[in-house]
Amino acid sequence: MQSEDLAKALAPVLGDRILGVEPFAKTAGRLRFRADAALDVFRAVKEDLGFHHLSMVGGIDWVSHREVFYVAWSDRLGQYLLLSTDLPADAPHIESATPVWPSANWHERETWELVDITFDHHPDLRHLLLPDGYVFHPLLRSFKLHEPEELEVKKRSV
Amino acid sequence: MSAPPPQLPAKVAPANAESYRLEGDLPMVDHPAVPFVEIETVRAQEFIPAAKEALSALIAEQGQSKVIRPTFNWAGRNSLFPLHWGLACCAIEFASAFSARWDSERFGIVPRSSPQQCDLMIVNGTVTWKVAHKLITLYEQMPEPKWVIAMGNCATGGGPFRTAYSVVPGVDKLVPVDVYIAGCPPRPEAMIDGILRLEDLIRERKE
Repeated sequence: MQSEDLAKALAPVLGDRILGVEPFAKTAGRLRFRADAALDVFRAVKEDLGFHHLSMVGGIDWVSHREVFYVAWSDRLGQYLLLSTDLPADAPHIESATPVWPSANWHERETWELVDITFDHHPDLRHLLLPDGYVFHPLLRSFKLHEPEELEVKKRSV
Repeated sequence: MSAPPPQLPAKVAPANAESYRLEGDLPMVDHPAVPFVEIETVRAQEFIPAAKEALSALIAEQGQSKVIRPTFNWAGRNSLFPLHWGLACCAIEFASAFSARWDSERFGIVPRSSPQQCDLMIVNGTVTWKVAHKLITLYEQMPEPKWVIAMGNCATGGGPFRTAYSVVPGVDKLVPVDVYIAGCPPRPEAMIDGILRLEDLIRERKE
């Protein structure tokens, strides 16, 4: 499936909730969508197009804004599909994808603790890789690496 | 002039053994049954009271701490039981040290799977803040007296991940460490050497 086919297939279902589809490497395309319509887009992509497997969720800190992206896989097409949307840099939050793809659970926990993107209505938004009580979000651009002697504030979490 | 070759004993076969003995075989000899167990029992009955008497005399002469403590240290350093666990790639070398090639069991080092049976914790790998709780819990579960060896650069000082956001810069931030072993990872010989250094420390242990 090419990105034009993807746009053509999704246009009647989602309308203006899609901001655009662009070709991206060997995937089916990179689908930009509006953040407030996230669950509609996920359902349409999974049930209408057959992208049943969510491969990963990640986030990028672009300083001016945050980007959250989803990589879905279709067995029928044998292709990946990228879905991404932009969130404001202050208090970024988006609806959780767990009702559609249960495998989003741990990926969203990781994205939350590393890039500080809150997923609304997530069933269990706890720390996954970092210790409980860790107050930093290490993959943000504003996070500075510490010398071990400056670690007192980090030790407090243990 | 060399000595004549030793003479084989003459062939004297038991009467009923001819049928299954090969031609040219040595004759079968019936050894008398030695009452080994009885002899040892009698010797022990004599030895144990004498040993008790000698030990009591030694304690009375030297004081209890000078006799019991070295004996305790001797037993402890020759039967170090490390905790059988692995954190990172150093655990591969840790496992190799107990294989046939290095065979750490000849020093009495036997890895045990439960911390309650151990007196030595070898921290073999990178310790993250996430696993720090578990490490402290395992250390607290070990009975006294107990020792800790930091194996490899990561456990010693954080290694290449020293400034990382999730790595403990040296396990001595969490538990007291007795011996540090450098290397990335240290070879099994280095690990055995570290344990032998620890045995030297235990030898001089006073309290």
